[in-house]
Amino acid sequence: MNNPVKMAAENLNFYYGKFQALQGISLLFHERMVTALIGPSGCGKSTFLRCLNRMNDLIPISRVEGTILLDGHNIYAPKVDVVALRRRVGMVFQKPNPFPKTIFENVAYGLRVNGVKDKAFLAERVEKSLQQAALWDEVKDRLHATALGLSGGQQQRLCIARALAVEPEVLLMDEPASALDPIATQKIEDLIHQLKKNYTIVIVTHNMQQAARVSDYTAFFYMGRLIEVDLTETLFTRPQHQQTEDYITGRFG
Amino acid sequence: MGSRFHEELEQLKMAILRMAALTERALENALQSFFDRNVEQAKEVIAGDQEINLLEVDIDKYSLRLLALDQPMASDLRFIVGCMRIAVDLERIADQAVNIAERTIFLASRPPLPPNPQLEQLADTALDMLKTVIGAFVNGNTDQAYDVCQMDDTADELNAAILKNQIKYILHAVPAVERSVQTIIAARCIERAADQATNIAESVIFIVKGVNIKHHCES
Repeated sequence: MNNPVKMAAENLNFYYGKFQALQGISLLFHERMVTALIGPSGCGKSTFLRCLNRMNDLIPISRVEGTILLDGHNIYAPKVDVVALRRRVGMVFQKPNPFPKTIFENVAYGLRVNGVKDKAFLAERVEKSLQQAALWDEVKDRLHATALGLSGGQQQRLCIARALAVEPEVLLMDEPASALDPIATQKIEDLIHQLKKNYTIVIVTHNMQQAARVSDYTAFFYMGRLIEVDLTETLFTRPQHQQTEDYITGRFG
Repeated sequence: MGSRFHEELEQLKMAILRMAALTERALENALQSFFDRNVEQAKEVIAGDQEINLLEVDIDKYSLRLLALDQPMASDLRFIVGCMRIAVDLERIADQAVNIAERTIFLASRPPLPPNPQLEQLADTALDMLKTVIGAFVNGNTDQAYDVCQMDDTADELNAAILKNQIKYILHAVPAVERSVQTIIAARCIERAADQATNIAESVIFIVKGVNIKHHCES
């Protein structure tokens, strides 16, 4: 069963200066489904992820060709408001990066930057986001304590809450659990299961078991190309391409 | 997962091959003992069964460990799951061999029944299926595995014909009822061994192609 397409990359090429990091990537992301991007280091999966909300625009020598559609509209079209785009396509990074502020202010940050001043609204949205990130019960009594006092796993869930506070439609996660212990990792994975009821999620992970556990679709990248994308269950039990088979069975190189 | 894991997969394969060799020998000897009315040979088959039982337990443990510790994917995952299934089927074939050997011991103490070419044909078919499917496993040869699935129809037909003929025989030779029933049981055991060889063929196809052809689930 496929949900409607939320985002679609069409023949995407990406260059760092003269180096072509992505070659003709075409890939669909279905609404309220989790797509995992896997592949060896340097295969282009994180570069591709960052193309989905134009984070790569921040790299001066980079260049993009092709299109990425969000609800049918090209996010690389002229006059696209990149800040508005990133509000719709949020991102969580590998290392938790809370701001040196209170827990409350971390979550409220995106809303304040967008000009929200209504205190009741902010409080309501902060609570909702922390609930969604499965952190509320752990921090509700110390919302005004510094976020830096939280454990690594809590900090990462705080960053997820911060991303959710602006109510994005798509959530990009770049190895969100790679710096966490197994218990915190499990919480993040459980959270992904919960979040996909409302969000379209794209996750980059080096952990294949994690990709197998959390995603509906898995895409395998190698040397800047998309080798194979399929239902996660199919890709991990019966991949179609030898390169995928070799990678996931550890026979690479 | 690296070369250490793949060496362990190779060891799993060797354990299956060892079990397959013992099982093949058990079935061959059981059938030979049956037709030659050789009680000593039958007793050897029964005595040898425990080694096969223990190998099944070892393979199960070993496979479980590989699944838990290495969390294999794709063909490696299919290989381990397939080996676990194959070990179960081999152990059951060995049990059929024991059952046939027990018929040998009983029948050898009674006057012989007339020669039964269909039973010999069934025995040849079952043994051929087992040998072929072991080859299919070793070489990952799905053509051979499909051949074994086809051969199972012959085994089924022969078993049905044997049953029919033995019933006819019972009606004409009442003193042979017990011996005929034992013969029917032996035929049934051989036919079951052929079924289990077919299961192994299905596991080989699953390992190589990733499709489940059991009960015509996937083409």
